[in-house]
Amino acid sequence: MTVTTTTPTTRRPSPPGRRRPRVSGRNVLGAMLSMPALALFALFAIYPGLRVFYLSLFDYSLTSPPEFVGLDNFTFLAGDPRFHEALLHSLVYTVGTYLPALALALVLAVALSRRMRGAGWVRLLYFLPVATSWVAISVVWRLVLHPDGLLNQTFGLDVDWLTSSAAATWALVIMGIWKETGFFLILYLAGLSRLPGEVYEAAQMDGAGAWQSFWRITFPLLKPITAICSVMGVIRGLQAFSPQVVLTDGAFGTEVVNLFVYKTAFENARMGRASAVAVFMFLVLIAVTMLQLRAFRREDG
Amino acid sequence: MPRYRQHRRLLAITAVLISTAGSVAACGGGGGGSGDGTVTLTFWTHTHPPMIELNKKLIAEYEARNPKVKIEYQTIPNTEFGTKMLTSLSTGSGPDIINMDDNALRGEYIPKNLLAPVDPAGFGKKSAADLEAGYVPGTLDGAKDAGGTLYGVPSEFNGTAFAINTKHFQDAGLDPEQPPKTWQEVIDKGKALNKAGHKQAFNFLYLHSGWYSQWFQTLANQTGGAILSPDGKSPALGTPGTKQALDLWVELARTSGIADPKTSSRDATVPFQDLASGTQSMAIVYPWAMEQIRQSNPDTYKDLAVVPLPQVNPAKPVSRVYGYFWAVNKASEHQAESWRFISYLAGQHDRWLSDVSFVQPVTGWQDSAPAKKIPGIDVIAQAYAEGRYDQVGPHWSEVQDTLRKAVDEAVFDGRPVDAVLNEADEAVRRSLS
Repeated sequence: MTVTTTTPTTRRPSPPGRRRPRVSGRNVLGAMLSMPALALFALFAIYPGLRVFYLSLFDYSLTSPPEFVGLDNFTFLAGDPRFHEALLHSLVYTVGTYLPALALALVLAVALSRRMRGAGWVRLLYFLPVATSWVAISVVWRLVLHPDGLLNQTFGLDVDWLTSSAAATWALVIMGIWKETGFFLILYLAGLSRLPGEVYEAAQMDGAGAWQSFWRITFPLLKPITAICSVMGVIRGLQAFSPQVVLTDGAFGTEVVNLFVYKTAFENARMGRASAVAVFMFLVLIAVTMLQLRAFRREDG
Repeated sequence: MPRYRQHRRLLAITAVLISTAGSVAACGGGGGGSGDGTVTLTFWTHTHPPMIELNKKLIAEYEARNPKVKIEYQTIPNTEFGTKMLTSLSTGSGPDIINMDDNALRGEYIPKNLLAPVDPAGFGKKSAADLEAGYVPGTLDGAKDAGGTLYGVPSEFNGTAFAINTKHFQDAGLDPEQPPKTWQEVIDKGKALNKAGHKQAFNFLYLHSGWYSQWFQTLANQTGGAILSPDGKSPALGTPGTKQALDLWVELARTSGIADPKTSSRDATVPFQDLASGTQSMAIVYPWAMEQIRQSNPDTYKDLAVVPLPQVNPAKPVSRVYGYFWAVNKASEHQAESWRFISYLAGQHDRWLSDVSFVQPVTGWQDSAPAKKIPGIDVIAQAYAEGRYDQVGPHWSEVQDTLRKAVDEAVFDGRPVDAVLNEADEAVRRSLS
């Protein structure tokens, strides 16, 4: 049986014949005060965004008026091996970096959420790379990844991390995992702190072990966090730029899509073509994000 | 206070703030002039410490002589220089005066109509021909369009030479007075240097695409190769001369084993670090590089000797020249004053030689007192006579990126030269289409 309860409204109805003001003076003031910020947002975010869509249909080299070319830029990209390679590099970097980073962050979060001495310091250590800029970290990692650098010396390796197509991608992935794990760790720790303790107590009374508790309670309850983390991971991965610029300048199979866009637009002055890539990536990101969210929602259902 | 009054006051404050912000923004777009007749010129260069120092001195002198002129000087890191300059000029917001290499001038700036032609009056000359008469014939070609219009005068003109570390040679039992004349001799002497413990006998610099392109053209000039066809409309990376150039590069850098290219310094802001630190024994150099080493590593500098560039065929030596030119933004509102300032800079050629080792190829430059003090200047002068400017073409940055990829894959990954050049040829064809 379904019981429906209604709460009597306490608001006094407007007296007949008198119209309630739709917009109060307070709202007008709020709108006025937010105008400067909205204007700046429109000027520096919305307008450039729309302009990119517009320019993607033109051949524009900055120095001469844009010439309408329809979908030619998209057609060119469809058959451009350099763009295809950049797409592949972005995909490999995203999956290679963010899948392990997410898994590592989840494991670390579960470990660090337990009360133990020094856990705060360990969390801080993991978070430090997140708070440091990509450029600064990349400069340090250039030394770490040098043929005679820390990585090779420590593990007795002889890998040309930054000067071979076989290794450069993985060098960036390793650095990316190191840098990004802390970001997701914080999100998972926040999620873990909100999980109800009674559920674990009940599970313990039912004889569930640590693995069963994790797999049947922690992991499912953290799904909303995992969903957010995976969406953010894909976005961050596909928008990668700084480490590739600083460490390899896109050489040795590390030219990702954003670097391709930058070079196409600002070094080669092909603004229309670069805009077409940006539009394509925007649509890809929207599609992938929707797929991810739908997948998580379906699992929830 | 009634609420509506509070609101009205807040609205008034908001309106004032908005209008003030608008006024401030409006004040920011000045054209470099002021009410008292003072003209402000903006001047951008790349980073080369000795050059920056002299530029600052010359600016101070010029401002002292011309109180109504103020010069805002800005240096931009080498890795960002091309991008920032091209983008700012393209959007009409660049500096009045730029200092740019001939590859970029002929490949991007002149074809895109971003520069003002030289104003001979600024130099006290009646015509561009009069101005050109003061320079060694052909040396201003790097700043001309296809029709022969001149767009700049050289701040530096570089011939390609070779440097050897005489101490390393002595360590290996080699005679520094007998430097390598051919690339094969570079390999032979390199092996002797390796045996004496000098593992980096010879290396190219792998900095950015522009550097790759200049090394490639240095070798291709000697092997008869080219990046583009003579008319610049199609790729020529599949030609035998071009293949021979990349084969030679791979042999020098990889298969001969005389050095490890993977450990070569890659910091574009301080090139030639390995030669300067005494790690590397032989290198292709330019006059400015030697002055930079003299200032940063005087101990190593004493051991270096500048010798002619090794050749594929010593009987027919071919070198490569390039230049940086002072030029004026076409959008500048102060073109006449800009050319007058450039005239002052260009008139200090003896100081550019003595302080920075920048050669400005005015007629008889090699006979000047500062020129005679520069070690190996006869070698540099000879290189000018044997040199030729680089080939450039449309979308040159893209072509240089393609060339870099081909070299990286052949030298570092060990892919066959034929395969990488075929792919590069196709990529260049797409860039040109």
